[in-house]
Amino acid sequence: MLNKLSRRHFIGGSAAVVAGSTFAPRFAIGAGATEIRALLITGGSLYPKYWEKITQDFTKKTGVTVKYDLLEFTPMTSKEVTLGAARSAEYDVYSTHTAQIGSFFNYFEPLNKYFDASDLADFFPVSIKYLTDPKTGHIAAIPRNVDARVQYYRKDMYDAKGLKPAGTWDELIDVSQKLTGGGHYGLVVPGQGDPAQRTFADLLWQAGGEWVDDKNKPSFNSAEGIKALTFYRDLILKYKVTPPDAVSYQWDENSSEFSSGAVYDTFDWPGAFASLSDPSTSKVVGKWSTAPYVKDKTAVSCAVSHAMALNSRSSKKDAAVEFIKFTVGPEAQQLNFDEFTNFPSRQSIAKQVVAAAKGDQAVWLGQLQTTIANGKEWPKLPGFSKVCTIMYGAIEKALSNQASPTDALNQAASDSLDAMTQAGAFD
Amino acid sequence: MLAGPAIIVMVVILLYPLAYSFVMSFFRWDLGDSTPFIGVRNYSDALSGHQFQQSLRNQIIFSIISIAIEVCAGMGIAVLVNSKLHGLRLARTLLLIPPMIAPAVVGLNFRWLFNEQYGFLDAILRDLHLPIVPWLSDPNWALTSVIIADVWQNTPLMVLLFLAGLQSLPQEPLEAAAVDGASPWAAFWTIVLPLLRPIIMIALMLRIIDTFRTFDTVWLMTQGGPGGATNLVTVYAYLLAFQGIDFGHAAAVSYIALAISLVLLAILYGVPWLMAKRGAI
Repeated sequence: MLNKLSRRHFIGGSAAVVAGSTFAPRFAIGAGATEIRALLITGGSLYPKYWEKITQDFTKKTGVTVKYDLLEFTPMTSKEVTLGAARSAEYDVYSTHTAQIGSFFNYFEPLNKYFDASDLADFFPVSIKYLTDPKTGHIAAIPRNVDARVQYYRKDMYDAKGLKPAGTWDELIDVSQKLTGGGHYGLVVPGQGDPAQRTFADLLWQAGGEWVDDKNKPSFNSAEGIKALTFYRDLILKYKVTPPDAVSYQWDENSSEFSSGAVYDTFDWPGAFASLSDPSTSKVVGKWSTAPYVKDKTAVSCAVSHAMALNSRSSKKDAAVEFIKFTVGPEAQQLNFDEFTNFPSRQSIAKQVVAAAKGDQAVWLGQLQTTIANGKEWPKLPGFSKVCTIMYGAIEKALSNQASPTDALNQAASDSLDAMTQAGAFD
Repeated sequence: MLAGPAIIVMVVILLYPLAYSFVMSFFRWDLGDSTPFIGVRNYSDALSGHQFQQSLRNQIIFSIISIAIEVCAGMGIAVLVNSKLHGLRLARTLLLIPPMIAPAVVGLNFRWLFNEQYGFLDAILRDLHLPIVPWLSDPNWALTSVIIADVWQNTPLMVLLFLAGLQSLPQEPLEAAAVDGASPWAAFWTIVLPLLRPIIMIALMLRIIDTFRTFDTVWLMTQGGPGGATNLVTVYAYLLAFQGIDFGHAAAVSYIALAISLVLLAILYGVPWLMAKRGAI
C-alpha cells in the first residue's frame, strides 16, 4: 500500500490530518463549553498562585477549564485595547478597570441580565455606577475589589513634633511645612500622567467642582477647578513641602518616597498597607499610621474598581459568566482580601472584613470604607479617554510652571469639548 | 515561484499592516461598533492641533541636536580609537555595550540617574555644593535629559561605523599629504572627510530614521512630560492610540511623521545628487 501512495495523496492526507487536529478541538469545546480563555491581571509574586487557586476551584465546581494569560496592568490594558480594535474573540473574559471602561462599552457584553437585582445591590453603588454605560444603562463589568486612597503618615515624626494628621487643605499645608526640612519633606504627591489626573480629580471634587456640567460639557475649568489645580501646584512650587521633582512622579515614586522614609505623609492605595508593613519593601515598618483623606468643601475622592468583563464576541458566554460570577463571589473576595488586602467590592464582605479586623487594620479599613462610600470617578462619556490624555498635559504644564492653572485648564476644556463632540458625546 | 514564500511573508508582515494602518487613518477608529469614513479629517486635526505641533517641534529639536552630537562625537572618538594609543582595543570593546542595551532599560536607568533625590548626578552636584539640576521635572532640562540618554546609547554605533570607514580608507592620499607638509587637521578636513562622505550619509540616514522611531527611552524616562515637553511624535501617537483610544488619528500622526522623515531623507540624498549632476562636486 505504501508503495502505491502517491505524492499528491500523501500531501493531501497530511493536510487533512493537520486541519482536523486544528479545528476538531474547537468544535468539541464549542459543543460542551468545557474550556474558556481569560486575560487576567497580575502584579507581584502572589497573583499567579491566587489565579491558579481560583481557576482550579472553579473547574472543580463547574467542570469548565479556564486557560488564562497573566499581564500586569499597563500591558494588559494595551493588549485589551488592541484586541478590542481588532474585534477579537480570542478571550472570553477580561480583567478590566473603571479607568478604562468607558472605551470598552461596545466591546464588552452588558451583564445586567446575568446578575439579579439583589446580587447587584450587594456591590458598592459607586463601583457599579462607574462601570455602567450612562447612555444605555448597560453594566460593562462587575467589580472585583474597590480602590480608594487614605492618608499614610509617619506617626513617630508627628508625635515628636506634637502634630496631628491634617484634616483639611489648610492643615495639610501647615503640618507639611512644619515637617519639611533637613532633607525630608512633609508630603509627596504624584505629578505625572494618570496619577496626576487622579490627584487633580480628588482636589476638584473636594473644592466642590465637577468634570462636566449638567449638559455633559467640560466644567473642570470652573473657579473650583482652578482653585484645585492652584492648590496642587502650590504644594510643589510655592510651599515646597514636596520633593521638587514631584511633577515627574508616578505611583511608584509616590509610594517609595514614603516607604524609604524621605517624606512623612502621602495619599496611597490599599496595597500600601501591606507593603509598608513588610520589612523587605519598607524602611518605616511600625512607624506609620493612617488617617482619612483631607477635605475642603467636601471629603470626596476617587473610588475605582478592578473588575471582570465578558467579551461580547465570546461564543461561550454562559460558561464565561459563571467564571466572572465565581471571581466576584463572596469566597473569592474574602480570599482577595486575605492575600492582598484588596478591599472587597461587596458590601457584605466589606462589613465582614472590617468587623474581623483588629487594631490599626480595623481603623484603616473603616477609613477606607468611608472614602469609598463617598467616592466618585470621572464620567464615562464618549471621548473621555481622549480627555484624560489632554488632562495629563494640562496638569503637568501647570505643575511645572509652563502655564498658569487658568490657562492650562481653559485650553484643556476647549480641547476636551472638541474631542467629546467628535466622539458623539452630545449626539 | 521559488521567491513566492518570501514574497508572501513580506506582504503579510510588512505591506499588509502598512496598508491597513494607512486606510485606518481615514476613518474614526475606536472601540465602537462603527468606524465611519471621515476623509482627511484625522490629518487636518493632527496638523492643526497644538499637541501635535508641540510634539513635532520636540521631534525636530531632538533629532537635530542628537544627530549632530552623535555624528560629531562619533567621528572624533573614531579618529581617536583609530590611532595606535595604548588600551584602545579595550575601548573598542566597551563601545559595544551601550548599543547592546535595550532602549527601555536605558530609559529606566537614566530615569533613576536623573532623579533629584537619589540620582547619581545630583548627588555629585550636592557634594560639590552646586545647585542640583531638575533633570526630569523642568521642561527644558527634560528634553536635554532624553537627548543625553539617546546620545549615550547611539554615539558608539556612530563610532563603529566611522571607525570601519576610517580603516578602509586608502593610505596613499594621506601619505602624500604628509609628505607635502599638510597638518593632521588639514588632512582630515580635505582628504578624510570627503572620502568618508558615503559613510556619513549612511550614518545620517540611519539616525534620522531612528530618531523618528524613538519611543522606549522617552516613555520610560518622562512619558512625554512634563506637560508634553518631551512628547515626540511616536509618544504622541502612542498616547492617542492606547490612552485616547483614537486609532485613526494615531495612524494619521504616524504617517505625517513618516512623510516628514522621507522628505528629510530625500533632501539628504537629493541635494548632493543634484549638485553632482550639475558638476558642482
